[in-house]
Amino acid sequence: MSPKINAQISPQPCPHLAEFRRTSTKPFLALHSCLRIKPPGGRAALRRDPDEVPRCGACGLSSPSRLYACVTCAAVSCHSTSADDSSHAAVHAASMPPGHQIAVDVDRAELFCCACRDQVYDRDFDAAVVIAQTAASTLGADPPPAIPSSHPENLRKKRRVDYRPWAPDLRERALIGSCSGPIAGDAADPSQDLPRGLRGLNNLGNTCFMNSVLQALLHTPPLRNYFLSDRHNRFFCQKRNNGDGDGGAAGKRNGGNNGNKNARICLACDMDAMFSAVFSGDRVPYSPAKFLYSWWQHAANLASYEQQDAHEFFISMLDGIHEKVEKGRREPDSEGNGDCCIAHKVFSGILRSDVTCMACGFTSTTYDPCIDISLDLEPNQGVSNKTATATSNHSCNGEADCMNSSQYCGTSTLTGCLKRFTRAERLGADQKFFCRQCQVRQETLKQMSIRKLPLVSCFHIKRFEHSSTRKMSRKVDRYLQFPFSLDMSPYLSSTILRSRFGNRIFPFDGDEPDASDELCSEFELFAVVTHTGKLDAGHYVTYLRLSNRWYKCDDAWITQVDENIVRAAQCYMMFYVQKMLYYKATDKQVAS
Amino acid sequence: MAVKLIETGEKERLMELLRERLVDCGWKDEMKALCRAVVKKKGRNNVTVDELVHVITPKGRASVPDTIKAELLQRIRTFLVSAAL
Repeated sequence: MSPKINAQISPQPCPHLAEFRRTSTKPFLALHSCLRIKPPGGRAALRRDPDEVPRCGACGLSSPSRLYACVTCAAVSCHSTSADDSSHAAVHAASMPPGHQIAVDVDRAELFCCACRDQVYDRDFDAAVVIAQTAASTLGADPPPAIPSSHPENLRKKRRVDYRPWAPDLRERALIGSCSGPIAGDAADPSQDLPRGLRGLNNLGNTCFMNSVLQALLHTPPLRNYFLSDRHNRFFCQKRNNGDGDGGAAGKRNGGNNGNKNARICLACDMDAMFSAVFSGDRVPYSPAKFLYSWWQHAANLASYEQQDAHEFFISMLDGIHEKVEKGRREPDSEGNGDCCIAHKVFSGILRSDVTCMACGFTSTTYDPCIDISLDLEPNQGVSNKTATATSNHSCNGEADCMNSSQYCGTSTLTGCLKRFTRAERLGADQKFFCRQCQVRQETLKQMSIRKLPLVSCFHIKRFEHSSTRKMSRKVDRYLQFPFSLDMSPYLSSTILRSRFGNRIFPFDGDEPDASDELCSEFELFAVVTHTGKLDAGHYVTYLRLSNRWYKCDDAWITQVDENIVRAAQCYMMFYVQKMLYYKATDKQVAS
Repeated sequence: MAVKLIETGEKERLMELLRERLVDCGWKDEMKALCRAVVKKKGRNNVTVDELVHVITPKGRASVPDTIKAELLQRIRTFLVSAAL
């Protein structure tokens, strides 16, 4: 049993399988014609004839727990698991000359060694099954695009650098001593029990949408570490810009804004200034006026004293940071890699969407970079929005029906939303998709999954509905439950593909073995942006989790709150960080 | 009857329903945790699927919630009635 099939640590083949591979010339050829794929997206099974009901050759039972077909002579036998019990599959293997140990599970198309009594994996066999499943029709002119050729194992590059502790040596200590001073406001501060970096942000006129997102960003661990470790120094950045700009007249920090505007605006610099201010130890509420001004320059269409959407602001400001850095460096880095700028390094992930044609089974796969995941609230009974009608469309098949009913009862949860997001959805007759193989529009099955998880996952709940038919917008006030710790592994492409194809050694998702790493799929909640009130007149408040205590950031006011208040809040955006990066212990040290 | 169950595809649907329910109620996660514990105890390389199934099966059978059993039974009954007609 290897726990990481998709991470391509292939288990040692058992001696029987190795022997079988060596002796037979075309080991699995006969099986190929027996592969049956239940209509699009289904699992692979083995039947000699589509309507065959397989039975154990020895006892005649048709539905014991597991049925295996010998790959050498095609005899079907049942297999019971208890070691002392007689298993007809094992008896078959023992009674025949060597070579009959390897069998294949008729319902899963997975290999089994009856002598070792263990699941075995064969690269070629698995590849053949997956290809058969992907292009259910073998006539396919196009080779399936989603299947990369199997990589040799040494391609598994080690991306993570081992951790080495660092203690300053004498010279470094002297440098630290001479170049830095203690941060003010440590002792004798009435609010010293608050963790560092908690500072209210003044409302500059309907800017709570900005303040709420900024508070979350200021406490995003990777982002905070980036700015506090001086990776984007605003003084250097300005100097460099002045160098290739008009050369000089501008002052260090505030000056020069009226010169050539485009060169001067750098949201990252303003973030840097804000980080310095917020973590300085000063508790007096800070006014992010400079930042607001720069953002207005960046997103001119949103520049007004009106309330904006927090999510829109979030997207636009990350975009602003990205754009600036891109301009500065001129590196043709693809956005999807998330290596271009700090905003994308932290927030960008990759979504995978598979669209399977219901007629021919042809699947087209696309990958899209994303910096957050927008989720629909689960529809209630009697709510006539688009998603509700979409689901009722295919409640004729039993599976979707029971899923709906299970979701209707009880409160909606974030995991429920994610499940809906990643489940296979049948696109009805009204939204037919062009199938490249059939060359006509067909009904399709669409499934989303997460190919690469970002360091920080931002979930945005679509609480604001815009109905084009009724020409109006409204807010959905329904409560959504969210967990403090979240395991994302069920929504990863590797998991979703594994449930579609069964257990195989096959590089489903190419070069990203780390993405399916268990360590990385566990997330911790650290900020929740909530919205209260109506669509046009509402208020944003952020709850922050620092050293496992919750703080409510309501513009300039910061108070500690009980976690039950947070649980009861009406969440709008949720920020989760990978557990590995959520330093509980160090957070405490910093705080004390 | 069993053959009919398979031929009509009802068995497939029932399996799918059961799978869904077991995931929903956390049974699957429970089993996963148990398997992990067993594998950890015995060492990663000394476990076969058969041993694992052998150890887990009694626990798994016992911990399927009664409501799920009842629901499936109900579904099978309805099928029997409709098939008899």
